[in-house]
Amino acid sequence: MESVNPYATIPVKIKKIIPETSNITTFILDGMPIGFKAGQFAELTVPGVGEAPFTPSSSPHAKDMEFTIMKVGRVTTALFALKEGDQVGVRGPCGKPYPLESFRNKEVFIVGGGVGFAPLRSLFLALVHEIDNYKKIYLRFGARTPADIVYKYLLPQWRKMAKVDMLLTVDVGDETWNGRTGVVTVILDEIPVNVKVAPAVVCGPPLMMKFVTQRLVEAGFQHDNIFLSMEQNMSCGIGKCNHCRLGKIYVCKDGPVLTWEEVKDLEEPFV
Amino acid sequence: MKSYLISLDKIPNFVDELARHGSVYYPRTEDGKAHFVVHREDAGVEPDFTGIRTAENMKHFFFHSRDVVARFPNDKSSAPPKQYLVGVKNCDMRGIDVYDRVCLKWEPIDPLYRARRENTVIISADCPEPQDCCFCNLVGLTPYAEAVSDVNITRLERCYLFEALSQKGETIIEQTKDLFTEAGKEHLKERDNIRKNAMKIVQKYNARALADDLPARVGRADKKTKHASRQDCVECFACLHACPTCYCFLLSDYQKSRETERVRTWDACYYAAYARVGGGANPRSEIDDRFWNRFLCKFDYFKQYEDIYACSGCGRCWRGCSGKIDIREILWNL
Repeated sequence: MESVNPYATIPVKIKKIIPETSNITTFILDGMPIGFKAGQFAELTVPGVGEAPFTPSSSPHAKDMEFTIMKVGRVTTALFALKEGDQVGVRGPCGKPYPLESFRNKEVFIVGGGVGFAPLRSLFLALVHEIDNYKKIYLRFGARTPADIVYKYLLPQWRKMAKVDMLLTVDVGDETWNGRTGVVTVILDEIPVNVKVAPAVVCGPPLMMKFVTQRLVEAGFQHDNIFLSMEQNMSCGIGKCNHCRLGKIYVCKDGPVLTWEEVKDLEEPFV
Repeated sequence: MKSYLISLDKIPNFVDELARHGSVYYPRTEDGKAHFVVHREDAGVEPDFTGIRTAENMKHFFFHSRDVVARFPNDKSSAPPKQYLVGVKNCDMRGIDVYDRVCLKWEPIDPLYRARRENTVIISADCPEPQDCCFCNLVGLTPYAEAVSDVNITRLERCYLFEALSQKGETIIEQTKDLFTEAGKEHLKERDNIRKNAMKIVQKYNARALADDLPARVGRADKKTKHASRQDCVECFACLHACPTCYCFLLSDYQKSRETERVRTWDACYYAAYARVGGGANPRSEIDDRFWNRFLCKFDYFKQYEDIYACSGCGRCWRGCSGKIDIREILWNL
């Protein structure tokens, strides 16, 4: 934590708001109120309403911090009512980042679903920032419908990048869609990486995480090389309040990125 | 560790001396129950160190049920007042020990807790006659303190024995040295006999030890065990709020004029919404699982983190329970 009082939040203005889908929006803040590494999260405050945990979707090296957020609860509903120029607060960074040093010189296999693509975008941009350090990046992304795909305006540019291999699928297509159709596991039939050494990174809804993890394990990825973003009810973000505890693991402090090895023996890791 | 004696009639002078520097709290017995009261020179109330722990736990002094922990947009805080807690029992020292580990040892440090802890002097007192609710011996404690507090008091037949356990404690005795004389070996022997007797009493109530592999037994409890254990629970959550070691909390923001206050309130893992996530999913939607979470937290996870149980053996959970659920019975039956 950077702030002396770990409960205090740093005020920052919303610079730009980009609607991504009917219920997902990207909020670009005016500057970088806190430093962070890909995988770490922050508590975002809506003044007078409360705070909630989100992983930034922007690169840790960017000028402005971004969050791509789905409207689901009390805090996000209040956040969606804010306008450009309004003030919010940021507290953190919280949790542990992806162990990028262990990803070096390897193929990195990234699987996202829905708004789970937000933290993965931050990871992807962090990898691209030093692309020479990695063999290749594989992006596998699923959404419910073409209208639910986030970052549509960025995807063509990512697709053209050297050392990037991207596949998309939607559960249900429409007349505009000529890509693959089916849940995200349909684009995991072929895994063109060396599963013995490649890290796999997964973020998405719990059910998607469950089935993707099963598939990755079947494909032969090492259990301590499957990195999962675990969604739990985080309150303090600093490993004290106990809300996010999953077994003996404090998701906010020991995670939010945990390996399959760390969670596989829990009764029900994906909730 | 130096030992000193103070005569029974000088205790009020000692307390008055402390009160010159801050608020002094000590137990007062009423209708057979001890409660912490604040010392007032003209009130004529004498502390009573002979009973078991007070009805209230010590987190009230360090971790209030409602605390403002931050302000937005401009965060500011003021130093907490100096306080002296006199007559704290060793079971409650376990509570403070747990909080010290969570709030001071585990990064990041909790600044409000640290400020209050630094501004507090704790004077513990031996528990000469444990009652049937007490089970400190089962969780690795004794009915007397030898660490964590600053000074410990033992009531001898004709006087009090004071033993400094920290530098802060040495300073307190130094500041009031006119009231004390040095203790001799015979006084320490008398103390040891009182302690042996207290241990005998608590052992009589709890002759059966907890299993050595208790954490593993708690961890592998099946659905039937969890369900049977909580049969008499009426979900009043008194056990959790009365517990000196429970440290769960919730943060909420409140708009106050032009600023927002971030408020920390005690929470309890029995509440249905406790672990529910924004989208509505709940890893512990069943009361059986929420009830058992308390056991996992205290006797499995915390033991793994810190090698102590997050239980003090104070028995408040049993005394305060509407269904009279005895935590010991559940642990013994695992």
